[in-house]
Amino acid sequence: MTFTRRQISAGLAAGIAMPAILRSAHAQGATIKVGMVLPVTGPAAEAGRYALTGAKIALDQVNKAGGVLGKQMEIVTEDDQTTNPGAVLAFSKLASQPDIVAFLGSIRSTQNHAMAQDILKTAKPVMFGGTDPKLTHMDNPWLFRCRPNDSYSGRVIAEFGIKTLGKKKWAIVHSTDAFGTAGGKALADALGASGATVALDQGYANQSQDFTPVVLAIKQSGADILGSYFTFENDLGIFARQLRQLGVTIPYVGSPSIVNVTAMKLAGPALYGTYGVADYAEDSSEGSKAFGKAYREVAKVAPDNQASWPFDAIHILAKAMNAAKTTDAKAVREAILAIKGHAGAEGEYNFDANGDGLHGYNIVKNEKGSIVFDKHIEFKS
Amino acid sequence: MDFVLQLLFQGVGIGAVYALVALGFVLIFRATNVVNFAQGEFSMVAAYLMVVFAVDLGWPYWLSFLIALGGMAVLGAVFNLGVYYPLRHRTYLPVIISTIGASILLANSTLALYGPQPQVLQGWFDTPGFDVGGVFLDSQYLLIIGVTIALVIFNYWFFEHTLLGKKLQATSQDKEMASLLGISVSTMIMITFVYSALLGGLAGILVAPILFVSIQMGGTIALKAFAATIIGGFGDVAGAIIGGLALGIIETFGAAYVSVPYKDGFAFLVLVAFLVFRPQGIFGERVAEKA
Repeated sequence: MTFTRRQISAGLAAGIAMPAILRSAHAQGATIKVGMVLPVTGPAAEAGRYALTGAKIALDQVNKAGGVLGKQMEIVTEDDQTTNPGAVLAFSKLASQPDIVAFLGSIRSTQNHAMAQDILKTAKPVMFGGTDPKLTHMDNPWLFRCRPNDSYSGRVIAEFGIKTLGKKKWAIVHSTDAFGTAGGKALADALGASGATVALDQGYANQSQDFTPVVLAIKQSGADILGSYFTFENDLGIFARQLRQLGVTIPYVGSPSIVNVTAMKLAGPALYGTYGVADYAEDSSEGSKAFGKAYREVAKVAPDNQASWPFDAIHILAKAMNAAKTTDAKAVREAILAIKGHAGAEGEYNFDANGDGLHGYNIVKNEKGSIVFDKHIEFKS
Repeated sequence: MDFVLQLLFQGVGIGAVYALVALGFVLIFRATNVVNFAQGEFSMVAAYLMVVFAVDLGWPYWLSFLIALGGMAVLGAVFNLGVYYPLRHRTYLPVIISTIGASILLANSTLALYGPQPQVLQGWFDTPGFDVGGVFLDSQYLLIIGVTIALVIFNYWFFEHTLLGKKLQATSQDKEMASLLGISVSTMIMITFVYSALLGGLAGILVAPILFVSIQMGGTIALKAFAATIIGGFGDVAGAIIGGLALGIIETFGAAYVSVPYKDGFAFLVLVAFLVFRPQGIFGERVAEKA
C-alpha cells in the first residue's frame, strides 16, 4: 500500500490536532463539571462536610430540574487540608482538568488570597465564601462572593451594638489571618464612623490553646461590649469558656462563626445570650427556610453558613450557564454579574460589578443553644 | 496582683500539659536515642478513646479512663513492635521518619474512623473551678498540675528506688553493658514505649476538656512539648518538667505583656536561644567529643 504526499500531510495534521480534538470532546463531555476546593482534613474538616452537603443538595435540585444546558451537573472535589498551600495545590489539581468549567473556592479569605493568582491565570469563574472585602477589589474578574463581605458585617455589628444595645466602649478580638484582620478593621472603622470608642483592639494567632491574656486584657480595658472575628471554631470555644470563667459578662456580638453549629456545640452555655451577625439565618427568608428544610432531611442536623453558601453557589452557576447558553467562561461571568433578585439560602443576590452578590446581614441571638432571628440589615452599597 | 497570679496559674497549667507530653519524649529518647514524633498522636488517640467510651457508649468516666489507658498501653507495645523494633539496628534517621509516618497514620486513621468533627469531653469535676481571691482556678488545670506533681514524685521513686527503674536507666545509659549484665534490652524498650504511650495518653485525656478533642490536638501540644524537652535538656526527666512549665509561663506572660499574636514566637525564641547558647538545655550535661 502506498500513500500520496497529500494523504501523509492529512494524516500528520490529524495526528497533531488529535489531542486538542480529544480534549475538546472530553470538555464537552456527558456532564458539566464544577471543581470544589474544600477542607476534608485539618481543623476545618467538619466545616468541609457541611459545605459538601450543601453543594450536593443544590446539585441534586439542579439536576432534577433538568441540569445545565441539557446535561447533568457534577462536582469534582479536592482537599485543601485547611491550609493555604493545600488550597493552592487543590485548586491547581482541579484547574489542570480542562473539562471543569467553574469552581467553588474557600470560605476562608486567607485561602482565597492564596489561590487568587492561579484563579486569575485559569480565567474561569470561582464562587467563594471568604468575607475579606479586598477579595473582590483586587482586579481579579473571576471571583464571585456568595456571602456578604466584612465591610457589611462590621457596619451591622457596630450599628446593632450602638443603636440597639446602647453600648459605646468596645473591645474587639480578632484572628490575625486575612479574614480576622479585615473584619477587625471593618468593625473598628464602622465604630469610628459612629463615634464609638475602641478600648481594645486585640489580635490573636489561630489555634491558640489559651486565651487568658486576651480575656484579662478585655477586663482591664473597661469595655462595655465585645465584638469578635474568630476564624476557627475550637479557638472560639476555648475563648468563650475562658471569657465566662474569668467573669467577663459584657454583651458580645460576634462575626458569623459565633453562630456556627460546631462552635455552639464546643462552647455550649458559654455562648448563651450572645449575638451574632449571620449571613445564614433559617427564619430570615423563604429561601433560607426552604434550604433549612432540605438540609435537615439529608443531614439530620441544622445547617449553617458553611453549607448555605455552596448551596447558593451551585444554583447561581447553573442559573448563569443556562442564561448564557454556554459554559464559555467570559459569557458565564457576564451572566453571573447580571443576576438580580435571586432568592438564595443566604438571602437575595444582586451581584454588583465587583462580584459581590449579597449586601446585608442578619442579627441573631443564641437563646440557650437555639439561634433566634432578630432582624436583617441591608445596605445599598 | 490578681492579674499576675491568674497568668501564673494559667501558665503553670498549660506548661504542665507540655511537661506531661515532654516526659514521653524524654523517656523514649533515653531508651532508643530517637525522638518519637508520634508522641502527640498518643494524646489524641487517648482522648478519642475517652470520647468513644465515656460519651458515645456512656460508660462511667473512671472505667472509660482505665480502658483508654489500657488501650494506650497496647498501642505503645504495637508501636514498639511495628515502628521501632524492625529498625532498631539502623541509624536514628529511619526510625525518626518511621515515627513521623506512624504519626500521620494514627491521625488519618482516627479521622477515617471517627470523622473530622471536634468533640466535647467533660472533665472529672462538675464544677468548672474556684475563685480564690479574684483568681479563677480552673478545676481541670488544677488536676493537671496535681497529676504532674504526682508523676514527678512517682518517676523519681520508680527510676531511683525500684529494680525495674534501675534496669530501664541502665538500658538507656548503655544497652550493650545492660545486656551483658543480663538485662533484656528489648523488654526494657518495650516497657519504655508502653509507659510513654501511657504518659502521652494521660496528657491527652487531661487536656481534652480544655482544648476539645480533635485530630490536630496532638500535633499542637507535641510541638510545644518538643521545644520544652530541648529547653529542659534532652534526655533529662526533671528537665522535661521544668522545660514544660517554663515554656507555659513564658508564653502566657509574653502574650500578656508583649504581644498576643506572637505568643508562640516567644516560646520558640527561647528555644532558639537555648539551641545557640546552651544546646544541652537547663539540666543536660555537655558531651565532649572524644579524640
